[in-house]
Amino acid sequence: MSEAPDLSEAEAFAAEHALGVLDARERAEAETRMAKEPAFAADVEAWRHRLAPMLDAIEPVPAPQGVWTRIEAMLPANDNSAVMNKLRFWRNSAVGGFALAAASLAGVVVQVTQPPVVVQTPAPAPGQLLNASLTATSGQPQPLFVAAYDPDRKALIITSLLPAGADRDKVNQLWLIAGQDKPKSLGLIEPGKAKIIALPLEVMAKMSVGAKLAVSIEPEGGSKSPDGPSGPVIGLGELSRL
Amino acid sequence: MIQRSPSCDTTIGTALATAATTPEILSSLMTRIASGEREALRQLYQATSSKLFGVCLRILSDREESEDVLQDVFVTIWRRADRFDVTRASVMTWLSTIARNRSIDRLRARGPLAYAGTIDGLEIPDGADSAETLLSAADDRNKLQGCLSELDDRTQTVIRTAFFEGVTYETLARNMDAPLGTVKSWIRRGLAKLKGCLQS
Repeated sequence: MSEAPDLSEAEAFAAEHALGVLDARERAEAETRMAKEPAFAADVEAWRHRLAPMLDAIEPVPAPQGVWTRIEAMLPANDNSAVMNKLRFWRNSAVGGFALAAASLAGVVVQVTQPPVVVQTPAPAPGQLLNASLTATSGQPQPLFVAAYDPDRKALIITSLLPAGADRDKVNQLWLIAGQDKPKSLGLIEPGKAKIIALPLEVMAKMSVGAKLAVSIEPEGGSKSPDGPSGPVIGLGELSRL
Repeated sequence: MIQRSPSCDTTIGTALATAATTPEILSSLMTRIASGEREALRQLYQATSSKLFGVCLRILSDREESEDVLQDVFVTIWRRADRFDVTRASVMTWLSTIARNRSIDRLRARGPLAYAGTIDGLEIPDGADSAETLLSAADDRNKLQGCLSELDDRTQTVIRTAFFEGVTYETLARNMDAPLGTVKSWIRRGLAKLKGCLQS
């Protein structure tokens, strides 16, 4: 192995960066190159991979109690990325009609081959007040809408905390995302106003802890997509017990 | 560095409670973290925090700072899990590398005093083969150890010191009382040999 060929200048630099011997200025240069040159970035990664087994030799040491609690406290307030992915999925599928058609077709095939399922009519849910705070999906997680579900009134009361009269040629549309269903529109809401939305029984059945409410920005008249929001989702929150 | 192991059908909960965490389980946790599942991050923490805390401590030799870095590492994982390519890299390598790099950043932030010590007598404790170590990971490690030990002592020492302490050429040269260009050529030659040996 004494006759190993020299590394190319670029690879030597990548290896030095992975090893950690570069000074601050050279490190910055290496980071810039990694961002611009995929081949250089791959060299650095390959060298990190080669050297990483040195870390395997280190004995594990149990982390002190309490570290996890602190990590949890540092995570963003709203754990919504799964729902955001889903909303994006419905938005994209509204555009990619073929994928949606294929998916529905697959659904049909599955249904045909499934044995018949005995549907049990769910007993009427006992009245349970639920509420949700819909926080901004980008920037600071500040509340943009608050919602309360009142089963006695068979209604959802939603209050927009946005300044009244903002963005006149756009509307805010409220969506319910329950289980695996596609987002269901609950209607349009006006900035700065409260609204009482009467809910049909089948929607009431879906108002449960963990279901999500979202608000998207849509052209006048609401989303043109039958499958969910067509515009950006600005607020998102989860129904929970008061 | 961690190869796929044939059996991984244990349930995640019990497997994580024991040390038998397979690469498959870690990969599936990463996918779930990328889609925003906190519970998956908690399970990853259970499975890997001791190892990563060990890495931080080895580099920083300070419990409080190591705790800070460990926190930072997991918040980073939470934010960047979507950038992790399950098909390309081993989860454990990725996590250990983040822990090592963050620790070294922290070490550097302490300022030049942190490098005042000499590098003589630097000992790398070689962790005993614990039962949980995957055979393939151990293979990678043994191969690297073998290749490192084929280098001359001085080159081995500078490479290990650089890796575990993130010291620059300049500091290495000062501590070893050798010209910077000389230290640089030791390391570059050493790395070239290492690559050749690992490939063979």
